[in-house]
Amino acid sequence: MNEESFYQFSTLTVLALLAAFYGGTYLLTLLIKKKKENTDAFMVSNHQIGFGLGAASMTATWIWAASFYGAATSGYTYGISGPLHYGLWGALMILFIYPFGRRFRKLAPNAHTLGELIHARHGSSSQLILASSNILGSIISLMVNFTASGALVSVLSPLSFQAGVVIAGVGVLSYTLWSGFRASVLTDFAQLMAMMAVAILIIPAVMFALGGPQTLSDGMSLLTPEQANLFSMDAILNQGAPFFVAVLAYAIGNQTISQRLFAVREDHIKPTFITATIGYGAIVIGLGMIGLMALMTGMEPIDGDMNNLIPQMVSMYLSPVFIGLFFILVIGSLSSTADSDLSAMSAIVMADVYGKNIAKNNPDPTKMLFIGRLTMIVATLIGVILASFSMDILIMLVFVGALWGAIVFPVIASCFWNRVTNTAFTSAVIAGLLMFCIARFELVPMVGVIAGLFELLAAMGGGVVLGLMAFGFCGRRVGLIVGALSAIGLAFFSVGFLRDYTVLLASLMAYGVSTIVCIGISLLSSSKFDFTQIDQKVINYDPAKPATQA
Amino acid sequence: MQTFILALYVLIWPLISLAVLAIIGVATVKDIRVALLEKRELV
Repeated sequence: MNEESFYQFSTLTVLALLAAFYGGTYLLTLLIKKKKENTDAFMVSNHQIGFGLGAASMTATWIWAASFYGAATSGYTYGISGPLHYGLWGALMILFIYPFGRRFRKLAPNAHTLGELIHARHGSSSQLILASSNILGSIISLMVNFTASGALVSVLSPLSFQAGVVIAGVGVLSYTLWSGFRASVLTDFAQLMAMMAVAILIIPAVMFALGGPQTLSDGMSLLTPEQANLFSMDAILNQGAPFFVAVLAYAIGNQTISQRLFAVREDHIKPTFITATIGYGAIVIGLGMIGLMALMTGMEPIDGDMNNLIPQMVSMYLSPVFIGLFFILVIGSLSSTADSDLSAMSAIVMADVYGKNIAKNNPDPTKMLFIGRLTMIVATLIGVILASFSMDILIMLVFVGALWGAIVFPVIASCFWNRVTNTAFTSAVIAGLLMFCIARFELVPMVGVIAGLFELLAAMGGGVVLGLMAFGFCGRRVGLIVGALSAIGLAFFSVGFLRDYTVLLASLMAYGVSTIVCIGISLLSSSKFDFTQIDQKVINYDPAKPATQA
Repeated sequence: MQTFILALYVLIWPLISLAVLAIIGVATVKDIRVALLEKRELV
């Protein structure tokens, strides 16, 4: 199939491209490599990252191989509005953590992970819920990125799928292992520059290779009325709304984002997050347009596999030079995310597991660094093995997403409301996850009173999402009003309707149930937490080089 | 008109990407200068 459908590079050309990419990246990290790294720099670059590098790193981390394929699939499936419903909400994930991120930084200026802050606030059980969900999420992300490398290499060259997986694993580990997060940030910058330059060239190149704007205009006749509608309800309900619900969950739950939040200089947080939001949106929506263009030209994806859309379009319409650039684009995107996942996991094991729970806030920095590097090696091995054997663990992503949805309110409430207790936090997360599973896998018949009750809980979850977003930018009073009005409005529309959209119903329920349980149990307690304790408990681990705040 | 709007809808994203690329590039040069002035490492 490959030879007939896709352009084929020779083995030598692909190996040369991979060697140039990973070799160049490795050489770049030699600029920062020190004989003796310190733990705080290894995890968060001493909290001193500037605006340019911070924005580049945030954007590169958030763009993974699946972003291109997902946006193109969305464009091909839902038409005009498809790329927007993929890229816009993904971009807003970055933006919506920013107001909460400032609070996290204020409470714990020396933190390396969000788990450390939660440990100081509540203790081990809440912290380990956050840490374990992050590790699971990062392992899945690693597997997906290595799989994307294997698929790309096997489609565009005679090399095997496994060869692509192993080369990506070894390549990413080689440049991240010694300097950790520092290497990740520096290489993210170079990788993002390359990715953006390629995206800027490829999108117009495909359009003009197809015959220019007139071809697109002619292709409008191939679209269904829903696909031709910028405000398609089909696209909103099946693509946009589930993504919108996930906005806060992925931003709050993902250590790759919070690690950058703790690494950027405090006065640069706002421009960094805004720039990353715009950068991510522009690249991903832009590449999603290739899927839309495929739809407008009547192209069918090979074997019905939507992941073939972009490689197919590039192979069919562009010259080998552009195909080489596309190859680098995908390898760059998956590598930047994979190195961030390795850095995130190493920081979690170093700080959350060893620093807080084993060494009880008094770790040996040398041993800590060793643990961080060992984590990277083990994680890479697991990622490569899972990807090589094409193990179907994507179902786990459903649970990770649900877990992250269930922790959003408890995490945010814990940082603003002094009455939230450890019991409230833990119970809320467990209850949210449990109810999510019942709704998602339809463990009870979704009819009658039960379905109506679930829809009301989901409406409340929708109110929580919108209320939290309003709260982040406009304060408590506006947040409460928006949340209450949204929940009432959504309840009116949801009952009798939302039961047909199981994914959306279950995701919203995770928010709603965890919020109700968290508030309820917190109100039963009379204890009030002193937030100044967090700064005292969350410390730098390397006394030789204390962090300097801007 | 439809042709123009469609072309704009597709091409606006690489244009925004170009603007962001320029902003990040300039900001990073500033980051390097500040790091050199403060005699500390860039990352």
